This record gives sequence, structure tokens and C-alpha cells, in this order.
Amino acid sequence: MALLRALNLTKSFGSTRALDGVTFEIPEGITGLLGSNGAGKTTSLKLFLGLIRPDGGSTEVLGQNPLASPEVRTRIGYAPERDCLPAEVSAAEFLAYMAEVSGLPRTPARLRASDLLRHVGLFEERYRPMGTYSTGMKQRVKLAQALVHDPLLAFLDEPTAGLDPIGRREMLELIRRVGREFGISIVISTHLMGDVERTCDSVVVLDAGRLLRTGVVSGLTQETEALEIDVVEGGAALLEALAARGLTARLDHNRLTMETVTGEEYDVIRDAIVASDALLYRLAPSRLALADVFSKPSDEDSETT
Amino acid sequence: MTTRPAEIFDLGYRGWEGQRTSRWRRRHAIWRDGVRISLGLGRGVGAKFASWVLIGLALVPMVVLVVISAFLSPAQEAADEFELPSYADYYDWALVPLSLFAAVVAPLLLCPDRRDGVLALYAARPITSTDYVGSLWTAFLTVCGAAAWLPVLVLFTWNALDASSPDSWLRDNWDIAPRSMGAAAAVAVPLTTLSLLAASFTKRRAYAAVATLAVLLVGSAVGGIAEDSFKGAVADVLSLASLSEVATDTVRWLFADEPQTPPRPGWATALWLAGVTLFMAVWLLQRTRQLVRE
Repeated sequence: MALLRALNLTKSFGSTRALDGVTFEIPEGITGLLGSNGAGKTTSLKLFLGLIRPDGGSTEVLGQNPLASPEVRTRIGYAPERDCLPAEVSAAEFLAYMAEVSGLPRTPARLRASDLLRHVGLFEERYRPMGTYSTGMKQRVKLAQALVHDPLLAFLDEPTAGLDPIGRREMLELIRRVGREFGISIVISTHLMGDVERTCDSVVVLDAGRLLRTGVVSGLTQETEALEIDVVEGGAALLEALAARGLTARLDHNRLTMETVTGEEYDVIRDAIVASDALLYRLAPSRLALADVFSKPSDEDSETT
Repeated sequence: MTTRPAEIFDLGYRGWEGQRTSRWRRRHAIWRDGVRISLGLGRGVGAKFASWVLIGLALVPMVVLVVISAFLSPAQEAADEFELPSYADYYDWALVPLSLFAAVVAPLLLCPDRRDGVLALYAARPITSTDYVGSLWTAFLTVCGAAAWLPVLVLFTWNALDASSPDSWLRDNWDIAPRSMGAAAAVAVPLTTLSLLAASFTKRRAYAAVATLAVLLVGSAVGGIAEDSFKGAVADVLSLASLSEVATDTVRWLFADEPQTPPRPGWATALWLAGVTLFMAVWLLQRTRQLVRE
């Protein structure tokens, strides 16, 4: 079932066309809205939230027109990219207030605020003013406030912005948990392909206001028929051992790549590794990365060009 | 007795399956927060200081006057010499601390939300920009209106208690109650609207406070110069620039006192005040809509 629909969506700001007739659907699960700066990601989010009117086309959120009534936003969460947390207020107080403004009664709002802060790992720090939080903690509060009213769908605008690699990994893990365990669908707007690969089920790629590609991430990054053999050392010896057994491989630094490996050849490869004394690190079918997918023209593109 | 090892039950994530509140309850949540901010409740001593000192300055003089009057009451001669101010007269004094209160405290309701980017979160909630600013406006009006009305209520109560027959005094003077509410509104509504409008143009509270006071002071200066330098209709029209003067004239009209600016009918002054306030309110709404979209 599609949670969001954009139909021939067009929006301009002055002479700049932010979105140029894009049509796509976003299903349940975790979806990445991928694109570089100026691709139209934030404009799309604002249109889905009903904050701005499209110049052309329409949007549908949870089966409703977001411009018709703000009520649809009782089931939508949003964490913006920019700072949005008052420095002098505690996270517990702020979340409880936001839950109330989103339509929860007062007592459940307080309980859910504490509960959500526990889920994002800020239970101990919940009464500290948010001005004293680190960037990672603030990102987690932003996520918690987007979920505090139990939405069906949450928009997260660049949720890993400003985080170090560990913080980024933790945040992506948290988002995966929200999507998988909490049952809340997530739309991540990001320019980081790695975030989408690690976290999302499906992806919508925008480029300069146009739809570049949309689909399931696993489908786009499906396994190829090639086999990759990563070694710590002994790559050249392994290459020779494979050649001696009639197998062809390509050596690039410490990675050997073999095109089209059949079932029986795996035994031969195993023997070659043992015979060459190569220190094996990894042996796996090659997968296309999203970056590879988007650097190649799609079938449709090929047909039109 | 059997002993069982301790177990931890993690309930995991629990969704909210209860009923969601109406839009009025959501507005009420914003209103309650606005009242708390206006009074500095739940904040540090510094946040409370300006609010309570300025409200105190509007209220305490009346309380002191009433207490003095109460002490002098038994001594008939001294009591005759001591005269409490009229309801309308008191606003000549109270308008100063109330203006300062509006200028200094009202920006706290809007400026931090803009500065900290919280407006983006309000925009994504199931409320409109009108709900947001309307609730904050009502919140500050509640506090400012109460601060404007309480002194008059104290005087009204004292006058009733001090009368030889409180029952008959109340029967004869019941109309003072609605008039005093109207007077409090005539002072509090324009001040609330002006100060929030000023706050909607800046992220810095100090700038908003200065802008509010500048509008009031420059208006008063223009009105004063007009009265001194011109006569007739020109002076009358120019004197309308003074929002504080217009407010106090409206208060006098409401209490059926003589206005300080004689040639203009009271209803015209009140109408002008309502028009200016409405204009500022529409401007404030448009400005907030624009801010939320950003």
C-alpha cells in the first residue's frame, strides 16, 4: 500500500524550478529520498506536510490531501534538518508538550515522552536542558519528537547530519529499529547513498527537481554473477594458482574478481586458495552498490537517448 | 517458599491506541504553555523577575492605596481628605508598567521559537499557523488582561465593602464590572497585538522590546506635538497616532469620564483603537504564516 503519492508534482521558487512534474509513490517501510543539494527533497517533504502549495500536480498522504486539513498530521512525524530544539527546556518537557500539540492527552503525553526518550537512549538525561546536549543527542531528540505522538509515518530530513561515523551508525541502527520494531514507516531525506543502502527498503532518487529512479533497494543492488575474493596477502600467488587450474581472474590490489562462476568451480577455487597460501579475508558474490546503479543509465534512459 | 530469579520484562515500543484530542485541546496546550512563559512558571528566577515586577508595579499601588484607605476609614476626617483614584484615572498610571510588561515579556512567546527553529516543528503538527499564533496571543492577553483588570477589581471590591450598604451599592454600580473588563481589554488587546507583531519581525527579544516601546513613545510624542502645535481637526487626527492616549481615552469613555482629548467622541476613539488593533492582528497572522512556510 502506498503511504505517499506525488502526482505530476511541480513547484517553483521564483525562477528556480524545485520540482518538475515528478510522479512517484512511497510504500510502507523505510524509504530513502535521495538526491544532492537542490534536488527537491526538502520541497517534496514540505509539499507532503502541506506546508506549501504545489504549482501543479497533487500530493496524497495516507490517502488524504494534506492541504485540505491539518488533521492528517496527527499521524505524521517530522524531524527537520536544521536545529529545532529550545536550548533552555528539558527533553522530557519538550517532548510531552509536542505530544500534546500533536493530539495526545496530557498524562499519556508525559508517559510517552519518557518512553520515547528511553528508546532513543536518553532516559537518564531527559531532565537536562537540551542546550547542554551533544549533536548526537540532539539528533536523537529530534527523532524522538517526531515519534512521540505515535505516527504512522515519519519524515526525517538528513538525520545523520553532523554526526561522526559511530554516531551515524548508531542513528541509522535506531532508524532501522523504528522501521522494523516500532512499525512506523520512515522517509529519510538524504544526500548520502550509504545511509540509504544501510537503512532503506526502497528509494526515490531526485536530481535537479526530476525523478531519476525509484525502486526497491535490494532489487537495485542485487547480486551479480561475479565472485569477489578479498585477501590480506598472497593475491598474486592465488591468481597464478587459479590460472594453473584453468580459471581466469582479475587482480585489483587485494581483490580478485572472477566473472561467471559455476557451482563446481567453487571447489577448484577453494583448492587454489589452500595451495597458494593466500590469506583469505572475504569470498562473496559481487553486489552492485547504489552508486554503481545511479552512475549507469537506466533502461528507460537508454531507450530514450 | 519458592524463590524465582529476577526477570526484566522489556515491553518494547507501545503505540498510542487511545483517542486523540480535538484541535481545541491542542490550542489549549499552546495557550497553557504561553501563560507559563508569560509568568515565567517552570523557569528560573530571572525569567520570573521581569514578569512579576512589572505586574506588581501595575497592581501594588492600587493595593497600597486601598490599604491606606482602609486604615483611614475609622478616622472620618482623614478619610474624607484621602481620595482613591477613579477607575479610569488608575489606567493613566497602570499603562506604563503594562506597556513595559508587554514590550519585555511578550517577545518571549515568539522570538525563542524563531531563534531555535521550533516553528518548523509546529508547522508539522496538526495545527495551523493561525492556531499557533492565536493561542499565544490569547495566552499573553490572558496574563496582560488579568494584570490590567486586577487593580480595578481590587478598587471595585473595596468600594463595595466600604459602602454603608454593600448590597445597594452593588445594585447601583453593577455596570462598573463589565465596564472595567472592557477597559482592561482596551489596554491589554492593543498592547498584546503590538508587542507580538513586533516580536514576529525579529529573533531577538531586545529588538522586539525596543520596537514596541518605540511605537508607543513615538506615537505619544507625535500626539503631544499635535496637541501643542495644531488645533481643530488636524490636531485631532494627529493625536490618534498616540496608541496609549487613544487607549486611555477609550477607557475614560467606557467609564463615562471626561476624555483628555475633548473634541473627539468616545465611540470614535474606541472604533479607531479597534481598527488599529485589527490591522495589527491581521498583519501578525500574515507574518506568522510567512514564518511557518520558511
